[in-house]
Amino acid sequence: MNNDKKVKRPKNSGHRMSRRGFLAGSGATLVGGAAIFSCTGLFAANSKAAQKIGEESNKTLLRMARDVFPHDDLEDKYYQQVMAPLAKRAETDPELMELLTVGVEALNQESRARYGTAYLRVETEEERVVVLKAIESSAFFQRIKGDLMMGIYNNPEIWAKFGYGGSSWELGGYINRGYDEIDWI
Amino acid sequence: MAKFDLNDDSLVVIIGSGAGGGTLANELAQKGIRSVVLEAGKRFKMSDIENDEWKMFGKISWLDKRYVEGPARLARDFPNLPAWIVKGVGGATVHWAGVAMRFQEHEFKMKTTNGTVPGANVLDWPISLQEMEPYYEKAENKMGVCGTKATGMPYHGKSSHYKVVAEGAKRIGAHCEQAHLAINTQPRDGRAACQVTGFCMQGCRFGAKWSTMYTEIPKAEATGNVEVRPESMVLRIEHDTNGKVNGVLYADGNGNQHFQKARIVAVAGNSIESPRMLLNSASNLFPNGLANSSGQVGQNYMTHTTGGVYAEFEKPVHMYKSTVVPGIVTEWQDNDPTRGHLAGYELEILHLGLPFMSAFLNPGKSGWGRELADSLANYDKMAGFWICGEDMPVESNNITLHPTEKDQYGLPVPVVYKTDHINDTRMRNHAYARSKELFESVGAIKVNDLPPYPASHNMGTNRMSEHARDGVVNRWGQTHDIDNLFVSDGSQFTTSGTENPTLTIVALAIRQADYIEDQMKKMNI
Repeated sequence: MNNDKKVKRPKNSGHRMSRRGFLAGSGATLVGGAAIFSCTGLFAANSKAAQKIGEESNKTLLRMARDVFPHDDLEDKYYQQVMAPLAKRAETDPELMELLTVGVEALNQESRARYGTAYLRVETEEERVVVLKAIESSAFFQRIKGDLMMGIYNNPEIWAKFGYGGSSWELGGYINRGYDEIDWI
Repeated sequence: MAKFDLNDDSLVVIIGSGAGGGTLANELAQKGIRSVVLEAGKRFKMSDIENDEWKMFGKISWLDKRYVEGPARLARDFPNLPAWIVKGVGGATVHWAGVAMRFQEHEFKMKTTNGTVPGANVLDWPISLQEMEPYYEKAENKMGVCGTKATGMPYHGKSSHYKVVAEGAKRIGAHCEQAHLAINTQPRDGRAACQVTGFCMQGCRFGAKWSTMYTEIPKAEATGNVEVRPESMVLRIEHDTNGKVNGVLYADGNGNQHFQKARIVAVAGNSIESPRMLLNSASNLFPNGLANSSGQVGQNYMTHTTGGVYAEFEKPVHMYKSTVVPGIVTEWQDNDPTRGHLAGYELEILHLGLPFMSAFLNPGKSGWGRELADSLANYDKMAGFWICGEDMPVESNNITLHPTEKDQYGLPVPVVYKTDHINDTRMRNHAYARSKELFESVGAIKVNDLPPYPASHNMGTNRMSEHARDGVVNRWGQTHDIDNLFVSDGSQFTTSGTENPTLTIVALAIRQADYIEDQMKKMNI
């Protein structure tokens, strides 16, 4: 990732179902790395969803989110803001709340069976990835993964950090803005 | 603009408004032949076109329920999305990247070239390159293909993405050239020159890329000879007691059904919908579907042998600052069995934006984790290819109708069975290996192989054949069984060639219009 200047972009919206339909569906080699323990949770602490799901589960979900698409230099807020719409919906959607609470339970069960402790207290990313891999096919995991993929890589706010330009037509494209520039070839 | 009566039985009814249907409508209109174009999708405006991958995907894609079957990974990764095409006026020409290449001579005669291929249903086309050349020339002129004699338009400039690949190709001794794109490099035909937004496949906001949405369709309408009816989903094609087609039953946007009478019907709904319509139109006279005496309707479904290769470098490439396909490594486009596979492939330099890269780099349930995240963090240092190779026609790769499940129109949901012929697998592996060699020669630190994603090139399900027993249509795209029923899209393709199909679809549509005019004058149809 780099630190190109941010360019204001229109907010995205809609098409959630079709995106998920597109993303529905498998093999990656996973490499462990140093994990940064975070004491905040995925949902804002004062949100109803956070209160309902419990502080522990809330932190577990954030840890999981950071393990699914680990970008160590990306602040927690970006992971949290991915999940905000999910949290909001869970407040009024008992099925979704069930998916999340039962999902976290299953994650912890898997973790205890393997390492004798809850997911949040499993120390290395390498070990946590083993736990995640075991529940990879679950609706819970795929839901979190799908929302994270859309929320992180499709978030115009952080495209510049990845060196992606986003919408360009309103800036006249790249015809006069360096389409042919490269200094190392 | 023209408005025709449902009872007007002098009309040509064209189903679909993309490369085949849109071109046919305009060609006929210029000759004074009147038609109604039934388009299942909406009519979009230029202002609907945004530089946003997922937004445009959600807005314009054909997302009606479909099933992908077979052992290929595509069926697991994208169980309901076999094809990545468009539902809207302009069809897949809204989404295409603009690559406009002619077939090679041997690609019209693959059976003669390679003999019988075990496990494949290879056939020669009943037409030759020589016969197609004047129509290719007309198509290049119509569409505005750069780098051709037909237009005299120069190529696009060399983008940073192109330069990385061209240098790699040079180092391994492979031929790489700038792509022949139907994208203006100069203002031409009332359309702007390319501004290099980098979003060719989301619809060209400036209209520099040829699309029937804003070329053939409005030109056809301006003649007063064509009425386009968007949001008109065809339910059945009907016929008279003599077995001639006489009209089309369709549902409008409100679900109301209408029957449009017709003198001639031309089917151009792309290679899943076109055979589906013929199968859905089964009757007492044609119990296996219209024009299906050969049993080949829906069979031999081809998508090109595809895959992706994205390399990560130490320094930035910024591949997105480019036309989507700035160039092509053509080194392996010939038919050279000593490589270990028959037929050829192109390595098409092609970028994805970060959103699509995250979905395609490792699609499916296992696409997560640090390796993927690290690669995506290198997005700005990536360069890559989309592999596009000739796909062997295999009879069991096909479109069938779901036995019980119906879609929103009450039509059986299409089931798409597609898996590799062994030649496809060998070709793809060859392409992966050469790509890696090419990228490593310019310092790639990691090379990612991507599996095939939903197909934008769909071909072969109503194939052209010399003999009625081997295929669905003759050398003019006219069905062997029913004289006044035509197929005007890529489903006519006998074999896929290695080239992107659009230019050939357009050339065939121009040629077909000449034939239809001739046959109408002679009162044969």
